[in-house]
Amino acid sequence: MNIIELKNISLKYEDKIILDDISMTIQNNSVHVILGPSGAGKSTILKVILGLLQVDDGKVIIDEKDINSLNEQQVLNLRRKMGFVFQGNALFDSLTVAENTAYFLSYFTNKNEEQINQKVKEILSFVNLNGSEDLYPDELSGGMKKRLAIARALATDPQIILFDEPTTGLDPINSKAILNLIKKLQGAGTTSVIVTHILNDAIMIGDTLTVINEGKIVISGSVKEILKSSDRFIKDFFYEINDNMFLSNKIKSECYERV
Amino acid sequence: MNYTELKIFSKESFKNKIRLLQNYTLLVIDIIKMIPTVRKNRDVVLNEMYMIGTKALVLVALGGLFSGVVLAIESGHNLEKFGATLLISRTISLGMVRELGPVITGLLLAARTSAKNASEIGAMQLSEQIDALSAFGLNPAEKLIVPRVVAALIMFLPLTMIADMAGILGGMFVTNTTFHIDLSYFWDTAINVLQFKDIFVGIIKPIFFSFFIASIGCYYGLITKGGTTDLGKKSINAVVTSSIVVLFLDFIFTKVVWEVM
Repeated sequence: MNIIELKNISLKYEDKIILDDISMTIQNNSVHVILGPSGAGKSTILKVILGLLQVDDGKVIIDEKDINSLNEQQVLNLRRKMGFVFQGNALFDSLTVAENTAYFLSYFTNKNEEQINQKVKEILSFVNLNGSEDLYPDELSGGMKKRLAIARALATDPQIILFDEPTTGLDPINSKAILNLIKKLQGAGTTSVIVTHILNDAIMIGDTLTVINEGKIVISGSVKEILKSSDRFIKDFFYEINDNMFLSNKIKSECYERV
Repeated sequence: MNYTELKIFSKESFKNKIRLLQNYTLLVIDIIKMIPTVRKNRDVVLNEMYMIGTKALVLVALGGLFSGVVLAIESGHNLEKFGATLLISRTISLGMVRELGPVITGLLLAARTSAKNASEIGAMQLSEQIDALSAFGLNPAEKLIVPRVVAALIMFLPLTMIADMAGILGGMFVTNTTFHIDLSYFWDTAINVLQFKDIFVGIIKPIFFSFFIASIGCYYGLITKGGTTDLGKKSINAVVTSSIVVLFLDFIFTKVVWEVM
């Protein structure tokens, strides 16, 4: 079953085309990666899925509802089915780790304080942040902040989680921990949409991939299908794995294994 | 230096100001519509009441006190020339309750509250915390702006009354020590001279001031973009705009009260 469908969406900003006739379908309980260079329009697609940006043309269907036909309150209600992990985390800096995690939980559920505390404990344990409940975001490392952002997104048990560049700026160990966490979420029945420009992340965790460049879809499909493509842009982009001297042989072999 | 920035009366600048005013008006309409939702955010309202009200108590009391003292000295020396020092208490009482109390409190709180709201919300905007609220299905205005406006509406009137009282007491002290007016005479005259319209205008002004001071600060916070330089600019704009609005509203209310009542 498709949980997200984008049908021929286009978006302009002051005569500049940001998205040009983008169509994609994302299956329930899958990990879909939107891959492309910086400025390609990847993050814009996430904002369109959330209904934060209105498209000029096309349809955005989330859980069988056309987002363009909903009023403001209905869009807010639909967003509650989704979690969002911002590239810069967007954590509430005046709240502790536990308070950040519980923030939306106390708004959108009828749980009492004890149930909320229990849920927060479970989620923080899931993202491996137990013991950090009373710390403030500025006391956390980059990887811990990212895990807290994921914990906050998970708190309300969303059907879909959108990740904007989840591993950018993290060291390889923390990146791997985040990618494992995303895989773990799939096991728990969540659909993940990940925007990234990091190729080996995309190959390692994506069930399906959409490659975009300059607001247009270059190719969409499984990793195998994409690697068979003869498109010049795809070849340039994907040969990076072979040519990247900074990638360890272990990571390269993991990527190839997955492919 | 970019000299185009100096064209403050250019066509583009005028258009931008109209656009700002239009967007601010839409925000005001949203705030009014959302006031009933404030019950959900009682904790935030109480915290804001403490931050913008209780913590401003000393500032406002001192502002009122010194205004009353200065008013007593200035009016006393002038009235003394005509042998009319007995009128000082009337001048101080009416001056504080109708004008100086609300305006001094309004200006002090315009600086304090507007800057606080603009910088807090602006910093949240820059770190995407406002986007996070929207992305998770919460209305940022309901969560951040309405509680701040309601807290200001609740706290500004008592603060103005404290400023009025401090001013009258300061004036009474100066009148007694410098112009040798009996304390009980001063107090009786100061209270009896006040009519309904004086108290009415003294109450209505802080209510309107509080709404605009709090909402203007929040609005400038919401439109902050770029980085810390813009945050500084928006905080200054918030203070300047709210101060001008306080003075303009004061003029309007004074004119209307004298014309109508």
